[in-house]
Amino acid sequence: MFFRSGFWRHFDFWLLGAVIIALVFGVTMIRSAIAGNEALADVVNRQIIFGAIGLAVILIVSIIDYRFWSGAIVPMYVVIVIALGLLRIIGGTRFGATRWIETGLISIQPTELAKIVVILALANFFAKTVEQPRDWKWLLKSLLITLGIAGLIYIQPNLSNVIVTMVLWAAMVWAGGLQVKQVVIIGVLMLALPLAIFPFLKEYQQQRVINFIAPDPNESYGDTYNVRQALAALGSGGLTGKGYGLGTQTQLRFMKVRHTDFIFSVIGEEFGFVGNLFVLVLLGFIIYRCLRAARLARDPFGSMIAYGVAILILFQGSVNIGVNLNLIPVTGVPLPFISYGGSGLVSLMLAVGLVESVAMRHKPLDF
Amino acid sequence: MAVTSRPLGFAQWRYLVIYGIVLLVGLIFVARLFSLQIVNGSDYLAQAEDNRTAIISDPPARGLIYDRNGIVLARNIPSYTIVVTPADLPDDAGNVQQIYRDLSELTGVPVGGPVTEETLNAAKLFAPCVPGPSISDLVALGESNAPYEPVKIQCNVDEEIARIVEERASQWPGVDILIEPLRDYPTGSLTANIIGFLGPIPAILEQEYRALGFLPNRDKVGYAGVELTLNDLLIGTPGTRVVEVDVAGQVLRNLEPPVAPVAGSNVVLTIDTRLQQAAQASLQTAIEYWNDVFYGYYRISSGVVIAINPQTGEILAMAQTPTFENNRMARFIPAYYYRQLEQDPAHPLLNYAITAEFPPGSTFKLTTALGALNEGVVTPASVIDAPAIVRVLNTYSPTDEGKYEEYYDWTYTFYGETSGLGQLPFLKCIALSSDSCFYKVGGGYLPEVTGGGLGIWRLQEYARALGYDQQTGIELPAEYTGLIPDPTWKRIFKGENWSTGDTYLAGVGQGYVLATPLQVLVSAAIIANDGKFMQPTIVHEIQDNLGNVIQPFTPRLRWDITQDPLIRDFACDEDGDCELTGKMKTVSLDAVQQVQTGMRMAVTDSRGTLNRDFSFGNYPIAVAGKTGTAEYCDDVARLKNLCQRGEWPSHGWTVAYAPFDNPEIAVVVFLYNAGEGGRVAAPIVRDVMSAYFALKAIDTAQEITGNP
Repeated sequence: MFFRSGFWRHFDFWLLGAVIIALVFGVTMIRSAIAGNEALADVVNRQIIFGAIGLAVILIVSIIDYRFWSGAIVPMYVVIVIALGLLRIIGGTRFGATRWIETGLISIQPTELAKIVVILALANFFAKTVEQPRDWKWLLKSLLITLGIAGLIYIQPNLSNVIVTMVLWAAMVWAGGLQVKQVVIIGVLMLALPLAIFPFLKEYQQQRVINFIAPDPNESYGDTYNVRQALAALGSGGLTGKGYGLGTQTQLRFMKVRHTDFIFSVIGEEFGFVGNLFVLVLLGFIIYRCLRAARLARDPFGSMIAYGVAILILFQGSVNIGVNLNLIPVTGVPLPFISYGGSGLVSLMLAVGLVESVAMRHKPLDF
Repeated sequence: MAVTSRPLGFAQWRYLVIYGIVLLVGLIFVARLFSLQIVNGSDYLAQAEDNRTAIISDPPARGLIYDRNGIVLARNIPSYTIVVTPADLPDDAGNVQQIYRDLSELTGVPVGGPVTEETLNAAKLFAPCVPGPSISDLVALGESNAPYEPVKIQCNVDEEIARIVEERASQWPGVDILIEPLRDYPTGSLTANIIGFLGPIPAILEQEYRALGFLPNRDKVGYAGVELTLNDLLIGTPGTRVVEVDVAGQVLRNLEPPVAPVAGSNVVLTIDTRLQQAAQASLQTAIEYWNDVFYGYYRISSGVVIAINPQTGEILAMAQTPTFENNRMARFIPAYYYRQLEQDPAHPLLNYAITAEFPPGSTFKLTTALGALNEGVVTPASVIDAPAIVRVLNTYSPTDEGKYEEYYDWTYTFYGETSGLGQLPFLKCIALSSDSCFYKVGGGYLPEVTGGGLGIWRLQEYARALGYDQQTGIELPAEYTGLIPDPTWKRIFKGENWSTGDTYLAGVGQGYVLATPLQVLVSAAIIANDGKFMQPTIVHEIQDNLGNVIQPFTPRLRWDITQDPLIRDFACDEDGDCELTGKMKTVSLDAVQQVQTGMRMAVTDSRGTLNRDFSFGNYPIAVAGKTGTAEYCDDVARLKNLCQRGEWPSHGWTVAYAPFDNPEIAVVVFLYNAGEGGRVAAPIVRDVMSAYFALKAIDTAQEITGNP
């Protein structure tokens, strides 16, 4: 039945096309960003392989009816909690945080998958409770579902993904019908929370926040080095950039983590304002297509899945670009579909597969 | 869109809020991008350009220094340094260790164990090139600072070892030979006081030199001698390259056409190294003889010989003892050696020709004689009684009754109080160096010399006209001015009135009178040259770095005392009180020639001070000159209780020129604490003159035969 034209009638080719364009553009920029560094030489090929795997994942997941996942929520949740727990025991440490499980072939970062599970679990919860009042008890239940995973991410420690998870929760309870007065109360709490949790942050996390709020003017080559170099790269691109492979900040390696966190600055340096605008439009279009699927979905579960994925892409993209534009403190969040990163890319494409599955089934299929 | 029939509470307006947020975030980003890239793009572009651009300065070759015959006095020789560029070493740690071991075997620098914080901190304490740290530590240190910057492992290695390293370049990636210029002085200590030496750019001049493109840790500047005074000529212009560098500092390419360095100008000195060598040898031999053989104790601590061409002002030789080895300062100035030189009581770092002042003694009688003849105080026909003791009234003011004091002639010391030189025509006073005669001429002695003699004011005028009391302006650093005192000076600096006795002493170059050996030589050279003061110079010509003459030698006339009215006219009464008339006058050529005659008579007269077997008695060339035995008192003499009548220690002087009719060379010899100048200093003058005329004969013969 997969090969019948009717099955694919409502498949969102626009969304898939935008994702592929983002992927290809990302691979192209990663190729420039490694700047002849031999240690990173295989990064381009790995990204292509991950992209291919991701496309396969989109197709497979879109074939599976998303409603199937509703019944598998509990086992998935348990598995991911165990996987996150295993990180404490067998995980490899990179840059001071245990986020990876080293397998024979690739390193898997379960945190990326965990965010999809959070979306599915919350979507399922909201779908099941559609008729229930949006009271504090309802809110607390949804929060507990989220914290079960967010707490494990926090002990890695991985502050940025805790924030991503909590934002997913906040956005989804909003869509799920959170009352306005609750929003106000939570809003006040959210403002107070950063001050309350600041003393419990790890020292490097505190330092990042402090560096952002009050940069020490004497520390030009210390903690602010990366940000300053990235800004110089992005700003120096001007309207149309210096040309592909010709960005001096990138090619002479003044900028660090070019192919992951600061790929947006690489694009800015080599393709300028036009290139960055293209990325913004492309990501905006992907988010729009996800939101469109959410609105067309035949049931609340599908709608909430597509909406959650849209929020995930929106928030991760905004944080990454915000860092590149020096609007928010440095965090290790990649640019969706464009930054290098295996687990993150495949997980996001899995999420896109879910959206496709929802979009394909927004009306009874024609046979 | 038909969403109104949705069964869940996902209301339309909640979507709109999300769309609104997307739009808002998008707008913020676009605005920020516009601000960063369009509005401030040029600032960031400048930052990025600054990041990747480095300006590299290439050192120029320092100019060479030659003597007048083209003998090299200062040159640049290559010095080989083994360097390791950390970034170019192999990736494999085992290969790196193998290279270290091979290198260690070749050089003897230890390989070093595992690099730890402790070993690194110990290695940090060593300056480059100082042996001590191991190869591992040096490379680890360099790698953490600038991986593309070569690290110096061993400096100044033999050419042979350098060749071996070059041959193994392909087996030892990262190991290289750095060739740096090193200043070398082939004549070493013989010319050290003229040439000087180099040192690092001093902190106080760092800004200035940096602006010119020089680097404090690499480039050197002159610290002494002509290396210092002619530094601007010799140092050249650094080249610049604007290059692209990556984050590790590796130079990738030139961004602009490079500007090549321009080597400094070459300088040809007036010195004749052969004559310098002869002067040095004679000086050293004489001092050794007097100290080791004659006196039997270390007495003459220093001495200087200067030879000049009176007609051009060219300094032909400027030798001294003690001296120092300037080649030891070539790479760096060794602290222990410098301290040793600095603390040596004989002060080998001083240039005794100009950076030391002594009483000129009887050589100053030339000045007194010139003044007295020109002012008409005496005439060549005047006959003056020259006893062993002159008793004169010493007063501190016209109203001071004063008291009689005795002034002693040199004959008193040798032959006793009843001796003396008898009745002397004035020119014989010069030839026989009669102190009694010059006391009378300088300060007045009734009835023979009326009007208070020449007097201190007029003496000062003639001394200045002969170059005393001022720098000669030779191109060497730290020249002293000497001192010709006058009553005003004494009142200010000694807090005492001038006494008539001070004038008597000044007239014979004693008392407060001080002069550098070069000034004594210049005064004789002016007289020898019929009153023409030729600027004394050590620079013959200046060549560009290809050897083309860019500034040929042209003798410079400072002044001619017979033409230029340099002497302020004083009107003096019978008591010797003088007042300025406001007029200026010249010195008559006749007066100059009379003094010349007096100097010639020192050689020709049977009783002349230079008419002896060991000086110029029976000398084949017509020489004229003046000896000097200048009494002094310093801390050493005072401790030995020598500062009293008959016991005074004295410096030996002789200044002479030849040939008498057409002087080509004038020589001064000064010997510290040597005693009688005519006996100790004059033979050295004779040696130098003999060497000069012998060399002249050789050069003339070569010119005729055409042999090089």
